[in-house]
Amino acid sequence: MALAIHTRLRQADPRGWWRYAVALLYLVFVLAPFGYMALVALQSDAAAGEGDLLLAQPHWDNFTRIWQAVDLGLYLRNSLIVATSTGAISSLLALGAAYVVARFRFPFRNLFRISLLATQTVPGILLLLPLFVIYIIIQHSIELRIVGTYWGLVLTYMTFALPFAIWLLSVYVKSLPVELEEQAMVDGANRFQVIRHVTLPLAVPGLVVTFVFSFLLAWNDILFASVLTSPETKTLGPGLQYYVSDSFSIPFWNLLMAASLVVAVPAMILFLIVQRYIVAGLAAGSIKG
Amino acid sequence: MSIKGAGLRIAVAAGMHAGGDSHRSPIRVPYWLLSPSLIPLTVVVFIPMAFAFYISLTGLNQNTIGDWTHAPFVGLKHYVDGLDPRGPLAPSFYSSIKASVVFSVATTLFILPIGVGAALLLNGHLRGRTFLRAVMLLPYIIPTFVNGILWRLVFMTNTGIADQIQAALHLGPRDTFWLIGPRSLWALIVADVWASWPFIYLMALAALQTIPADVYDAARIDGATTFRTFRRITLPLITPTLGLGIALSTINHFNNFALPYVMFGPTPPDEVNVMPLNIYVNSFITFNLGLGAAMSVVALVIMLAPAVIYLRAARIGDAD
Repeated sequence: MALAIHTRLRQADPRGWWRYAVALLYLVFVLAPFGYMALVALQSDAAAGEGDLLLAQPHWDNFTRIWQAVDLGLYLRNSLIVATSTGAISSLLALGAAYVVARFRFPFRNLFRISLLATQTVPGILLLLPLFVIYIIIQHSIELRIVGTYWGLVLTYMTFALPFAIWLLSVYVKSLPVELEEQAMVDGANRFQVIRHVTLPLAVPGLVVTFVFSFLLAWNDILFASVLTSPETKTLGPGLQYYVSDSFSIPFWNLLMAASLVVAVPAMILFLIVQRYIVAGLAAGSIKG
Repeated sequence: MSIKGAGLRIAVAAGMHAGGDSHRSPIRVPYWLLSPSLIPLTVVVFIPMAFAFYISLTGLNQNTIGDWTHAPFVGLKHYVDGLDPRGPLAPSFYSSIKASVVFSVATTLFILPIGVGAALLLNGHLRGRTFLRAVMLLPYIIPTFVNGILWRLVFMTNTGIADQIQAALHLGPRDTFWLIGPRSLWALIVADVWASWPFIYLMALAALQTIPADVYDAARIDGATTFRTFRRITLPLITPTLGLGIALSTINHFNNFALPYVMFGPTPPDEVNVMPLNIYVNSFITFNLGLGAAMSVVALVIMLAPAVIYLRAARIGDAD
């Protein structure tokens, strides 16, 4: 072992420089497009329109102008409402289902688990059309508005987020010691109290991951939002897309890039916060094998 | 359908090794905990899937949608129209299938070496490794529609940076068209490669972290070269996970709607008129819903092969 460490140290140095060179290449590859975004976002209308690659003077006011040019405030608010509800509801519902999958045997249990995986391979476009028709049918038969409402969007995203959330949380719950739950049962707690006071607190790291992935699913969607939103409930995806492809005006690229940065940053921050949980989850999974 | 699918893939990669004992009580199953998930899944996913097959056999359009039960049943008409080489819609059908297959296979081939390379680099000892690992994920996290807007700007004729770089290096004229005509396929591939390679990187890194360090130490003591170590030890050990990654990446790219939609809009060039776009236009712009459903069933069938590979790979070590 000592010999191995010694060998590794000795070999690390001379080979070091090219590893840093490759790392630098990757860094440029990843960050250059972000730099281009930031550059254009700070340009004047004329410079952005002509495609200048220089920044004569940073126009920070672009970041205030976007709120008038696009109805960004409304889209941002709608996306926040929908994504937060999606994240919270799907995580909580999934915990219940994951608990049952992890702790019980029931008929069609395996079929249920396989169908969770299988749904991930279905193209969203295949579901969009029949889902739209089904929502219309429900609206026609009972006076209940679905298309164009927040809750219609949340119901849709929440359901799409469930398979991943159930799968991840069932792996997680399975790794928790069952003795704690049994002890609580012996002390007279019912099933709900056990989950509420024993399982849920222990599953928080898993719930954080499912919340963020469900949140991002709603935040990043454009396909379902473009059909299921009304002008009042329009979210960021269709909102910005409309501005890009609006044939009556040539888009102001500087404003569009500024808006894109404003939209991308919350998603990036959220993901970077939970990144350590994902790595930890992976590590835990592999240790048990 | 998922956020570019990251989540479940990672969970699956972890689950592949999770196996182990499970604790289950023989007592009453609390179905009330399961049904809040099962009911929406049935209404929003399972029934629409079955319904898609039915719609594909009807002439459902904007006139019949209010009274869908009376939409004329046309049998396999849409499939014949599209798939019979002499059918009226065959040119559009086949050009979309070709565009989708070329796009998903090409992007997967490109992101494979880029992702594995980054994983090998960041699995080793490197100063600033934590920072680099986080930065590498950034292209994967930004919303696909933001990515589409960004690359639309990059590939603008004359004013985009792609044309400017090309002109500066004397590789081509500054007024080259990237968003219309045959080059649009390359524009789409470049945009998607940049955004999706971290998926392979994540999968490869997860696999690499399961290889114990002493395996490498043993190889080094035996005098194996770096290349030989990679070919004989690393590669065989990460191949199962990479296989899963390749299958998922192919499915993911094949199902990608947002990127081509934002980059090219509802009337894209033939080269990038991928199946999801074609289905979207048929269903929600020309409102030929039956035809759109038939095309999405065809898309599902084409993706059956990678889907089966994925399901089999994902169930390894999951025999309970």
